[in-house]
This record gives sequence, structure tokens and C-alpha cells, in this order.
Amino acid sequence: MDSARWFIGFGFDAIMELISFVIAFAVAYQAFKGYRLTRERTFLYLQFSFVLLAAGLLVDGLSTIFVLLARTGARLLGVSSLGYTIFFFAQLTAYLILVCAYLQKTRTLAAESLALSILPVLPVLGYTPTGELILIFLLFFITAQTLINYSVRRTSGSLLVMFAFTMLTLSHAFFLLMLFDARLFVLAHVAQLSGFVLLLVMLLQVNRSA
Amino acid sequence: MMRVIQREGNRAKPTRILYGANLSHDRLTKYLDELKRLGVIDEIINGGERYYKLTQKGIEFLNEFRRMDNFAAAFGFAV
Repeated sequence: MDSARWFIGFGFDAIMELISFVIAFAVAYQAFKGYRLTRERTFLYLQFSFVLLAAGLLVDGLSTIFVLLARTGARLLGVSSLGYTIFFFAQLTAYLILVCAYLQKTRTLAAESLALSILPVLPVLGYTPTGELILIFLLFFITAQTLINYSVRRTSGSLLVMFAFTMLTLSHAFFLLMLFDARLFVLAHVAQLSGFVLLLVMLLQVNRSA
Repeated sequence: MMRVIQREGNRAKPTRILYGANLSHDRLTKYLDELKRLGVIDEIINGGERYYKLTQKGIEFLNEFRRMDNFAAAFGFAV
């Protein structure tokens, strides 16, 4: 992690996560407004998913800042590890909800089966490659769905969402590979933030149009 | 129904709405009464002819609905 020390040392990763938290919360709020207006279950899925992502990003970002400010180094690494674990489970649940939302359209039992099949291999605490692989799998499915959506609709909104989830998938690929090159930790956070920024652009576009 | 009224320049006769929204006459009557009750459309009688137009509340609702529709569509969901 030496080559990423400057990045972690100044808390850039935490700042990026807190920015992403705000955006994820904005998406969740938009979904909440949609549910309030239409009572469509789709909006509930989106709302829960993005609230979970927002909560996870907030917890992970704050735990990192806490450890940085406490300046006690290794002693409080457990706090940071716990923060990431919470974030991991939040992402896992959020992306599972989205996968279920897409699978619900086909009215199959695949959604529940998928959720149950992942449970036995969940990591216990902190970052593990296994966890990243699971997230990549879920995100890849979601990204594929958004790609199909864009190929059908050809709207700028669907294009932005497709790129957003592509960046999120890429970020987890970088998180997986950072064991071999610590610089990928920086790229992972940049990709993750880029994904959320693309979602923000989509939100702004949707709210400007009517 | 509201989109049909808007497409007709915010002034649509019942028959236009009937065909535009693909409704039966009974359903049309029922839904028009409901929309009037909600305050999103107004009924105008002009020279013996009946028209319907969107109220400001109706226009705002339609705009908001379109936003939500676009939002859901961006993710690949239909409202």
C-alpha cells in the first residue's frame, strides 16, 4: 500500500466516499419521490438499494476519517475494517435488491435462489478478494441489464446509468487487483466516484426535463 | 388521458380522449370524474360543446410523472 499511502494519508478515499454518499442519497430520495407519486414497487427497490449504498459509503468514509484523525495508526485499524465490512454488506444487499428488481420483471425464482446461494461464501470481516468477486458478479449482471436497456431505449439517461454501473464494476475489479499493485486502490476509488458522478448527471438531466 | 389532453393543446373533447387513451365509454366517464375530483382537469362547456383541460396542478403532476418515468426508464424499469 506504500504507493497509495499519500492517497490514504490525506483521506482522499474517505472524501470521495462521502461525496458518493451524498449522490447515492440523492438518487434514493428521487426514488422515494417516485414511489410517493406512483406507488410503483420499482421505486421502492431503487430507494432501498441506494439508501443502503449511501449508508455504507457514509459509514466507511467516516470510519476512515475517524482512524485518520485519531492518529493512533494500527490500534484503530479494526474500526476501519469494521467500517468496510458494513459497507461491503450494504453493497451486497443493495446490489442484490437491484438484481431482484431486474429478475422480478421475468417473474422467476432466480432472484431468491441467487441471494441464498451467495450466503455460504460471505466473508466474515474486512476486505477479502472473495467479497470483491461477489460484488463484481452482481454488478456485472446489473451493468449487463443497463446495457440492454440502453440498446433498446437509446436515451442519454440510460447511457449515463450504463456507464455509471460500468465504472462501479470496474472499481471493484481494481479493488480485487490492488493486492498486486497498490496504485489500483486509487484508481478503484476514482472509478467508484466517477460512477456516482454519472448517476448525479443523470439525476440532474432527469430533473431538468419534463 | 392527461397526456392526450396535453397533446391536443390542453383542450380536448371527450371523444378525442376516448380514442387517444383507448378506453371504453364507461371507463372514460369514471376516470374523468376521478380526475376532476382530484383537481387535475377542468371541464369547460362552450357553445354546447364539452372540453377538458389540465389545471395547473394537473400540468405539474404530469411534469413530475414524466420526470419519474424518465428516472425509472434510465435504470431499465417501466412505470
